[in-house]
Amino acid sequence: MSEPIQESTQKTIIDILCKYIDEDVDASQVTPEASFESLGIDSMDVVEIIFDLEETFDIDIPDPGEIANMDNSFSRVQDLLTIANTIITQKE
Amino acid sequence: MRIVITGMGAVSSLGYNVDSFSKGIMTGQVGFAPIKQIPEVDLLRIQIAAEVPDYDETAHFTKKQLALFDRFTQFQLLSAREAIKDSGLDFSNAALAERTCVVMGSGIGGQTTQERNYKKLYSEKAKRLPPLTVPKLIPNAASSHVTMEFGITGPSFSIASACASSSHALAQSCMMLRSGLVDVAVSGGSEACITFGTVKGWEALRVTSKTTCRPFSKDRSGMILGEGSGTIILETLQHAQARGAKIYAEVLGFGMSSDAGNIVQPSRNGAVSAMKAALNDAKISPEEVHYINAHGTGTPQNDPTETAAIREVFGSYADKLAVSSTKSMHGHALGAAAALETIAVVTALQQQIAPPTMNYNEVDPKCDLDYVPNKPRPMAINIALNNSFAFGGQNSVTVLKRFSE
Repeated sequence: MSEPIQESTQKTIIDILCKYIDEDVDASQVTPEASFESLGIDSMDVVEIIFDLEETFDIDIPDPGEIANMDNSFSRVQDLLTIANTIITQKE
Repeated sequence: MRIVITGMGAVSSLGYNVDSFSKGIMTGQVGFAPIKQIPEVDLLRIQIAAEVPDYDETAHFTKKQLALFDRFTQFQLLSAREAIKDSGLDFSNAALAERTCVVMGSGIGGQTTQERNYKKLYSEKAKRLPPLTVPKLIPNAASSHVTMEFGITGPSFSIASACASSSHALAQSCMMLRSGLVDVAVSGGSEACITFGTVKGWEALRVTSKTTCRPFSKDRSGMILGEGSGTIILETLQHAQARGAKIYAEVLGFGMSSDAGNIVQPSRNGAVSAMKAALNDAKISPEEVHYINAHGTGTPQNDPTETAAIREVFGSYADKLAVSSTKSMHGHALGAAAALETIAVVTALQQQIAPPTMNYNEVDPKCDLDYVPNKPRPMAINIALNNSFAFGGQNSVTVLKRFSE
């Protein structure tokens, strides 16, 4: 089980995500349940989001394909929060 | 006007000539190994590539030449030397030299030179750079040095369309032959960008595998970066026959298109129109094709898109096609890829064997064609396609045929 996510960490991650959502998507729609697709986030956006998270938290995140191969789904905001939080907590 | 291939040269992770390349792809030799040429390799997540093995530049070039030739130019010259010798053409004949073009593709150009010299400048605070820095790194250095080494005086330039560069070079060469501008074309491409900066860049794109390249397999994890060069000698049939040249294959046609979509995401429509244009240019029906050398990068995105495009163009006949990706053996040599794959297709036509897709493990429901998994397959191959779909959405497809009078 992963550690519960700190509010400030979640906010930082959501703020990063918000830079990549489609123009016609409102920031209030960026909830943990939302899918990347519903927010207009494509696979190249995901790669850029991962880069931003790595730079912001000084962590290394596996490739989306590797995350999917570890039997984790990787299509929703929650998936990104979980994987990023796990790696951030491990680092601490 | 009929156009034929009368000479070939190859430098790749499978060796230094066409023989070792052909033998490699027809025996399922996977040319991937830990990267040797990057001193900072420990700082990379991607530590595997398809490098030209045990390359010693001093064995092929003088000190003076090496001051001028980036690694990508060196590879181009090596494959051109083999191809021109193989063709028997002698460019000391001034009339022939004038009626010959040199058109080469490269995705990047002199990347080794860029990085080495800029490292000196930015990191080591060098006060000056070697004077030949600029002429060494320009992407047309490779085509230019081929003209100089052989005294070829017809039109010459380089083409950049990333992973399709040498396919576009081939198409451009065919257009010049068809127009009557030249009788002979020295065509192909070269790439040598297994450098610290470039591999870091590929890492960040997250389309490169850390382990191996498994095109069309469900467990594929990306491409393996390669390097090398291919040179193809093209001639009008009339010119080739008049001099009694040996003929390897015929280029029936080509097709090109632009996705006009996304700089990296491939599009099915773009691939479909390039393949359709190629069949149309070659004046053949889809059912006449037996083998496709796929773009087949082994990325999650390319392989299902290319599969869907092939299904759309070939309909139910798609199930009868043999489709393989030789990138599973020589890696993705970017600007040299299509030239090397053209040689793979010529080998398939000559030997009547479809080269395999190596490292194939598991059926992906989204990739449901016959990919000739893991073993070469003897079969009748009269006509074959070579697909090249580049970053930038710039697509080029060529149609080759087994030669008969």
